[in-house]
Amino acid sequence: MRILLVEDTHDVGEAICRRFQQTGHTVDWETDGSAASDILAYTEYDLVILDVMLPGLDGFSILRKLRQSKSGVPVLVLTARSEIDDRVGALDLGADDYLMKPFDFRELEARARVLLRRRSGGEATNVIACGDISLDRTNRSVMVGKREVQLKRREMTLLEILASRPGKVFSKEELLDQLFGFDEAAGANAIELYIGRLRKKLEGAKARIVTLRGVGYQLVSDDGP
Amino acid sequence: MTAHKSSLFSRLARRVAVVLALGAATLITAAWFYARAAADEAYDRLLLGAAFQMAESLVVADDRLSFVLPPSAFELLGLAQRDRIFYRVVDPSGETLTGYGDISPSADLSRSRAAPVFANMAYRGVEVRTVTTARAVTSQSGTGWAYVIVAQTTEARQALASELTTRAVILVAAMSLLALIGSALAIRLSLRPVDQLGDILRQRDPQDLTPLAATVPRELLPFVTSINHFINRLDERVRLLQRYIADSAHQIRTPLTALTAQVSLINEDTLSPDDRRHLERVRNRTAELARFTNQLLNHAMVIHRFDSTQLAPVSLNDVARKAFRATVPITIDPDMVVSFEASEEELTVLGDLLSLREAIANVIDNALRHGATSRLEVRATRFGDLGRIEVCDDGPGIPPEDWANVTKRFYSSRTEKGSSGLGFAIASEVAFELGGQIGFRGKTAGLPFCVYIDLPLVKEDKG
Repeated sequence: MRILLVEDTHDVGEAICRRFQQTGHTVDWETDGSAASDILAYTEYDLVILDVMLPGLDGFSILRKLRQSKSGVPVLVLTARSEIDDRVGALDLGADDYLMKPFDFRELEARARVLLRRRSGGEATNVIACGDISLDRTNRSVMVGKREVQLKRREMTLLEILASRPGKVFSKEELLDQLFGFDEAAGANAIELYIGRLRKKLEGAKARIVTLRGVGYQLVSDDGP
Repeated sequence: MTAHKSSLFSRLARRVAVVLALGAATLITAAWFYARAAADEAYDRLLLGAAFQMAESLVVADDRLSFVLPPSAFELLGLAQRDRIFYRVVDPSGETLTGYGDISPSADLSRSRAAPVFANMAYRGVEVRTVTTARAVTSQSGTGWAYVIVAQTTEARQALASELTTRAVILVAAMSLLALIGSALAIRLSLRPVDQLGDILRQRDPQDLTPLAATVPRELLPFVTSINHFINRLDERVRLLQRYIADSAHQIRTPLTALTAQVSLINEDTLSPDDRRHLERVRNRTAELARFTNQLLNHAMVIHRFDSTQLAPVSLNDVARKAFRATVPITIDPDMVVSFEASEEELTVLGDLLSLREAIANVIDNALRHGATSRLEVRATRFGDLGRIEVCDDGPGIPPEDWANVTKRFYSSRTEKGSSGLGFAIASEVAFELGGQIGFRGKTAGLPFCVYIDLPLVKEDKG
């Protein structure tokens, strides 16, 4: 994936570059606002990580120009100013996410991953429901009754698989394949772990994950088929 | 100085009343003098007429002066019905020819030869008005002067004078009353801009730092100008302070981010176990520093926002959801069950979105950091007339004896190492500013420990 980083603090830029390069991404690093804006005009990126206070052109202006040119590239804004309005302003201007400096680098990576996935996923707008569980694939949010429950990415995928066909029994292998793909090596224990977590998070719902020993798992609604 | 003098209206009214009273007194005095003069003039004519007639009736017969009282003279004087009349006729030799010999307005009667002489005197214990006229009498013994003195008591003229004065007094009093009422109305009307200015100031939102836009008379301009000057200065100060906080936030956060960035680049694999331990400590301390810095700056920002931000209706569900999403990190421990439950009904409170979100975020952050072991629930509910944001976790909770203290800045609990920082202080101060409060519910057998923020709901207009 190709990432544009616009950050004028050298120590920070260096660390972000290194981190994303380590996970196999290509990172172009710009320190000047207007230069970054020019590059964005003719280069396609999968993610833009944007600082607000920049020499040349500030982050908000870059963002505004970017959105005016109808570019849908995900933008993650980094801000060091304490005006809390900044965050709201950034979201209003079309930023997809923001982080307040100083931030935890693992959090930055995680959020960037979410944005990159959203980019490559491009699922249709739809909601899957089973019992009183509803899964909104666009917002990637899960409601259990009136409660909004926060799920991890893999838990979300697992629920998505199970809920796509309620009642159907999925074998461990099937789930393993769909959850991790072929390139990741994960044991059958991992499935048990995720099923366990998912069960805990869906506690109180009117649908249950049923274990069929030796066969697999199924999502069963209490309201009947 | 809270003591205030009597109102402008009563001060003005009092002064106008004094001026009017003095004027009225002067007018009445003048009227009394005029009335007396007029009465005197009117009755003096009658008196003089009577005296002339009496003088005319002096005749010399047989070389003797004789006097026959003419009835017409008394008819004339009879116009003043209640007054008594005395007269005295003096012959040229100075002897009293007839009448009351003891009427003597002045020792020297000869002054009346040129013109009749009027005088006031007391006669037999009553006030009388006298007129003395002279007439040349020619007899065989030669020409001499005879005098006629007529005296009249003053009851009629006093009655006339007092009647005239009374009328004048009534007139003056009526005019004064009219003037007083008119002045009172005029003063009220003229002072209206002062009242209006007072109303504008009273109805003003204390957070409003825009200049007064009232149109006022020139006399009030200095007040409005200085109020505006003061408001501008305060506004400037607040702005300056906010810019200062924003600038220092940037100045502090940038190197702090650089520090964490560089620490994150250290390759742990090449370090000795000791160094790895030190690095871990550096990492923890850096995180702590970052958190306190954020809290300090946000605290300063949130508290100063209330100096200048006007409150607006805020949806409690919305703000709680935003705070929830912003605060729970993606990198949270996967075994933690985190949920948010919005209220079914719309809960609207009067507040400031950003401050409120910061307050809720801090409570959630605190629960994640110090409380929750495997479960965190955030809920927006209605609690009677209050909107309530509940943050519950399955941790041990805060012991009741610490409840009053954790909302203080940098309070260090004995049971927990380190201080809880400013999180609860921010939440509690925001809640207080918005007319609500922060509260705690202890852990019971069935229910987890909860921290809640209660805020008064906006009364919804039906329709």
